[in-house]
Amino acid sequence: MSTVKEQLIEKLIEDDKNSQCKITVVGTGAVGMACAISILLKDLADELALVDVASDKLKGEMMDLQHGSLFFSTSKITSGKDYSVSANSRIVIVTAGARQQEGETRLALVQRNVTIMKSIIPAIVHYSPDCKILVVSNPVDILTYVVWKISGLPITRVIGSGCNLDSARFRYLIGEKLGVHPTSCHGWIIGEHGDSSVPLWSGVNVAGVALKTLDPKLGTDSDKEHWKNIHKQVIQSAYEIIKLKGYTSWAIGLSVMDLVGSILKNLRRVHPVSTMVKGLYGIKEEIFLSIPCVLGRNGVSDVVKINLNPEEEALFKKSAETLWNIQKDLIF
Amino acid sequence: MRIRHRGLKVLPTALLVSQRSGQQLFAVSLSPLLEQAAMSWTVPLVRASQRVSSAGANFLCLRMALCPRQAVHIPLQGAWLFTSVSKMATVKSELIERFTSEEPVHHSKVSIIGTGSVGMACAISILLKGLIDELALVDLDEGKLKGETMDLQHGSSFTKMPNIVCSKDYFVTANSNLVIITAGARQEKGETRLNLVQRNVAIFKLMISNIVQHSPHCKLIIVSNPVDILSYVAWKLSAFPKNRVIGSGCNLDTARFRFLIGQKLGIHSESCHGWILGEHGDSSVPVWSGVNIAGVPLKDLNSDIGTDKDPEQWKNVHEEVIATAYEIIKMKGYTSWAIGLSVADLTESILKNLRRTHPVSTIIKGLYGIDEEVFLSIPCILGENGITNLIKIKLTPEEEARLKKSAKTLWEIQKELKI
Repeated sequence: MSTVKEQLIEKLIEDDKNSQCKITVVGTGAVGMACAISILLKDLADELALVDVASDKLKGEMMDLQHGSLFFSTSKITSGKDYSVSANSRIVIVTAGARQQEGETRLALVQRNVTIMKSIIPAIVHYSPDCKILVVSNPVDILTYVVWKISGLPITRVIGSGCNLDSARFRYLIGEKLGVHPTSCHGWIIGEHGDSSVPLWSGVNVAGVALKTLDPKLGTDSDKEHWKNIHKQVIQSAYEIIKLKGYTSWAIGLSVMDLVGSILKNLRRVHPVSTMVKGLYGIKEEIFLSIPCVLGRNGVSDVVKINLNPEEEALFKKSAETLWNIQKDLIF
Repeated sequence: MRIRHRGLKVLPTALLVSQRSGQQLFAVSLSPLLEQAAMSWTVPLVRASQRVSSAGANFLCLRMALCPRQAVHIPLQGAWLFTSVSKMATVKSELIERFTSEEPVHHSKVSIIGTGSVGMACAISILLKGLIDELALVDLDEGKLKGETMDLQHGSSFTKMPNIVCSKDYFVTANSNLVIITAGARQEKGETRLNLVQRNVAIFKLMISNIVQHSPHCKLIIVSNPVDILSYVAWKLSAFPKNRVIGSGCNLDTARFRFLIGQKLGIHSESCHGWILGEHGDSSVPVWSGVNIAGVPLKDLNSDIGTDKDPEQWKNVHEEVIATAYEIIKMKGYTSWAIGLSVADLTESILKNLRRTHPVSTIIKGLYGIDEEVFLSIPCILGENGITNLIKIKLTPEEEARLKKSAKTLWEIQKELKI
């Protein structure tokens, strides 16, 4: 007695189970799932794997995505607690990690996250030795360093999501102030993703017109239009959104999708992401900070050598110092 | 608000001045501007005058003398300032020259009521599909609402859509093409369905009247559960014609059905055709006669398909569709992604007038021997006017009987409602 399938379909050749463009998302919290849905809707992968420690949540999220299969083109969505599901990934996005508890010092938080990364990263590298790792978990610059150290991968293949989101927020706010679409407003924030990020006012431009040539005081304290507040808003916005809705997800998910697109399609676009900056701007330690990087199939293939004015360089170096003070005490 | 300018009176003066300065082209380029609102060109003229000879500067003084009142009507938009009144130039005014006072009209505005997991999944799916030019979010929880809006705005470099507004107040939904309702009360432990629905009627009363007031021509997509009853409630409260009230209904059930059929056959869900109709939920009806791949009905290959006698037990596929919703809720607390994607799919058909067929909930009175004024899912053609046509799908006596039974159950509850 033959099944409907046997009667309907004649097989010619075995199904090729090898995916060409597999992405794994580690951590199925709000950020991980925002990354997942954005990647699915942008058709970036032909296989998506989800990994988490909470099995029920993990399975529920996987099923919810699978039920939407009719509406996108990623034919294989899998999940598991075991990293074997992540095998042969082109990109592994790490969103897992401990959240800062009330009153917890940054160092204590980072040390807890080192422990988590130690349990995650070796397995990831074992199953996908050629992958690029995109680190999203915070504090992202330090954790990108941690992941790089644990993974043993070359610096080109360990990328921190860094200031890609800060710069997007910056451009949105500049756009609002000028009444221009954010994609036509150019502005870069580099350095630490967080409170000590560095806005490059000299580069802020629309159609090649540097705003600083229109107002030399742009971004300074004596600027009567207080453009500096835009940068403050960028820093504050994460805290504000967390206060209002409990966490941020959509913007970071979209920003990760943007980076993944550049990598998988070898676009060689420039993004401010967290990479190893030892040797640049007089930095002597093994620190990861965001600078404009060219992203392609090999990960960070080039960096753009931006001229920082003395003040910007000082801020950048200060970020490096702050991070090193925490990194040097970490126990691996 | 446009400030109409009595342009023609000034036109000769402009030409005169420019002729004197020998800038013929300058005059020609000015005339379209002169016919627009006054303030939109006075500053550009200031700028232009800085570039041409002093004749231009004289013109401006002359202009000001003719219509001194105009100086007072300054459109206060952002950091825009009138330079000849106040000497302070902003970066914006230095960088950008206003060219028109015409305000943009948004053609594809969607409003989403309710910023919970379902509402936000609808939002992100619609944004990533690039379907709209404005999004409005409404919710009672102002903190959550603002947080979600900011989060989406910050991602606008990547979605290319920065026009996202929010408010507790429905004025933000004005002139929506489509309004998606995901808000509503959740079933409490031990609560009867009738009680839940009655609570939702109270919520919908306020919601619908506000929506209709601000977007009298919009289409409504109802997602909140129980969706068939609430679509009826929304239709009654809005007094909209039936084509403009659409219940998300069995669009998701059908998507799940097709996914599971695809898994069983090793084929992508897009190539597996099958329809689930009727009541969204436990008593939905899988139309086995229509299930086909490449036009080959599975029923031709297995005449017992969907029945208890079926050795392959295809019936389980339908049962799984019903069960998985509960399963996902048990595992992650709620469902969001699939329903969000399915709503974005309906949105696409409507906004782009695609005229695709979807199983959505609409008024079914008069069909299949149903006399009650109830909403059930049947295949509908969706376009810019909402549900423009129905597909007259042939059902077996058993399938028809199930639809009639659903209609009766829904009516039992609906007739008790105080709308």
